[in-house]
Amino acid sequence: MRNFLEKYGLRLLIVTTLCAVLISVLSYLSATSGFLQNAVGVLTYPFRSAVTAVAGWVEDKQHYYKDYSDLLAENEALRERVAELERDARQAEADRAENALLRELLELRAQRRDLVFEAAAVIERENTNWTSALTLNRGTVHGVEKNDCVVSSEGYLVGVVSAVGYNWCTVLTVIDTDTELGARVFRTQEVAVAEGDLALMGEGRLKLSYLSADAQLLSGDVVTTSGLGGFYPGGLVIGTVEAVRTGDDGLARYAVLAPSAHLGELSEVFIVKEFDIVD
Amino acid sequence: MSPSTTRDTAVKWTAYGAACLLLLFAHALTLSRLRVWGVAPFLPPLLPAVIASMEDRLEGVVFALAFGVLCDLALTAPLPCQYTLAFPLAALLASLLAKSVLQPGFLCSLAVSAAAFLTVDLIAAAALLSGGHAAVSAIALRAARELLASLPLLLVCHPLLSFLHRKFTL
Repeated sequence: MRNFLEKYGLRLLIVTTLCAVLISVLSYLSATSGFLQNAVGVLTYPFRSAVTAVAGWVEDKQHYYKDYSDLLAENEALRERVAELERDARQAEADRAENALLRELLELRAQRRDLVFEAAAVIERENTNWTSALTLNRGTVHGVEKNDCVVSSEGYLVGVVSAVGYNWCTVLTVIDTDTELGARVFRTQEVAVAEGDLALMGEGRLKLSYLSADAQLLSGDVVTTSGLGGFYPGGLVIGTVEAVRTGDDGLARYAVLAPSAHLGELSEVFIVKEFDIVD
Repeated sequence: MSPSTTRDTAVKWTAYGAACLLLLFAHALTLSRLRVWGVAPFLPPLLPAVIASMEDRLEGVVFALAFGVLCDLALTAPLPCQYTLAFPLAALLASLLAKSVLQPGFLCSLAVSAAAFLTVDLIAAAALLSGGHAAVSAIALRAARELLASLPLLLVCHPLLSFLHRKFTL
């Protein structure tokens, strides 16, 4: 071993260090992925799609034989929820009309919420145990850029684009440890930070940090993106509060959030390429 | 080195590369949605470690470096160059274990695989701890679960890679 290290150790160390530095620099400095990463992504694209298609087919077959009574109960619950939402929608329409009239009377700018979406399919999920990520079949050729938000078909926040290639992009989901988003508690309008945590990621959860000392959160409180700074559109639902805990230092409190998007079941999502919001 | 030896070396390492790709594809096709104790069996660290325990030290490290670069380009990780740093180190450890402690075989493959996972997870742990998004206990628990869930993959990988090693050394 000593002879090996004497003979080749320095050269191997230099080559390894050069490769590591090159990969790191390209990762941090580039708005799109580097040439090599892009090439690997394009080459592996058909294999990832094939694998996900096969795995999805197998899952569908498993779900087909799910207990019939479970489906009946779920159907009944959903009917009640739809009726409730229809009542809320009618009330919201009336409130919207009143709001528009009042804004006109006060000569305020009209509220506007313009988002440009790009539909995308999920071609790969979570390829390691230390990250929570999705790979989508849209890339720079479709106008996707790094840091674009991704939402589910229900409009819930799924994550943020972290790397983008020619016809693919990687999305770090809201529960990934690298995720940090400006957030707002919808009921109290308190501003906080929604971020990932490794222990909570294993449970499919994330945390809401930097709460004020007198924050009064309730289980079920909806948390949305704050939109502060203009990096991400505001008002995208991140999740709901499940519990409030005290940190290891015994001082700071944080809330555990359950993501509203079903991250393990996504097959189609929407990338927010552009947004223009006036409140 | 004679042309035939160079050609044989190239063929051998091409075969190893193809075997690794085949195993990775089969793993993704069959086990990508499987979760054991909340983690998925993870194949990449096993491959360069087992190969390095059977082959020449320099060639094993170079293969591990190339494999690590490919993994960094294709996979997400807490650190962008995680596998580029970890795999050559794991290959060196594997070679040392195989030459000095254990004879190449299934037991040796188990040991070098554990060493490879330890190397990868230590680098991941350093990245996560520096970012403040994980506690040491959570990292240790996840690493232990990943190792226990992944070691059974050797039941498929070891025979195939051993077969290739015997074929190219006879």
